[in-house]
Amino acid sequence: MGSFARTDAGLRVRLSAAEMELLRRLARELRSLYDAEDDPVRGRLFPRAYLDPTREESEREWQALVHPGLLRDRLAALDTLLATLERATDRPSDREVILVDEEPDAWLSMLNDARLALGTRLGVTDETDLEAHRAAAGDDPEAAAYEIYGWLTWLEGDLVEMLMS
Amino acid sequence: MTATTPVEAPVEAPVEAPVEVEEPVDEDKLVADRIWIVIVWNDPVNLMSYVVYVFQRLFGYSLEKATELMRQVHYEGKAVVSSGAREKAESDVARLHAHGLWATMQQD
Repeated sequence: MGSFARTDAGLRVRLSAAEMELLRRLARELRSLYDAEDDPVRGRLFPRAYLDPTREESEREWQALVHPGLLRDRLAALDTLLATLERATDRPSDREVILVDEEPDAWLSMLNDARLALGTRLGVTDETDLEAHRAAAGDDPEAAAYEIYGWLTWLEGDLVEMLMS
Repeated sequence: MTATTPVEAPVEAPVEAPVEVEEPVDEDKLVADRIWIVIVWNDPVNLMSYVVYVFQRLFGYSLEKATELMRQVHYEGKAVVSSGAREKAESDVARLHAHGLWATMQQD
């Protein structure tokens, strides 16, 4: 069963306390990454608009015009996600929160950025054998990161499916 | 965010100087008038379903069209997802970046 479900009240999320704590940690890490200078992962989240190197001036103007808004929206999404986690309520085996209005979009923004950042950091390619990395467990220092990456993939896929249905 | 009117990819070739006309042609103006295209590039991380969802949300494309564009990005490495005046291309690139897609713009 997925973590997201449509209800009359809104989009219901059910995750374990540990999973919600992990989302908090990832949100904090994203906030640091957004502010980082010269980080290649940050470059993936905020790419160039003009590939042509002779358009450097256009690129600078575009970045000056657009970047503050892009950054502001990313940070607002993190704040929204963190606020929804604050109001999650306990159930016998997990925790639950109902997302309304723009909150599902904020979750999608955060989950996608967390996956992008982690996937870029790990150097994931179309040929990467994610199962092998996860199975390597203790032998692979990055096994935990691949585990989180796999979990984000599953969670985001579930959310997209709900939003498209 | 609101879905906008679908924008079809251009079918006409870029404007070219008329061959028969004797009047001097302002090359700079011709270049300036050329249409801008927005390209989304393949990346190994973004989910296919997510990319389809974003194309539908941002451009109002049908599921079929959005899926076709996503497949083009994935299997051919890139796809032109919108086109038009420079200001529109700049805005579309910004909206795609806001959703974590790797998009750039150039003149056709």
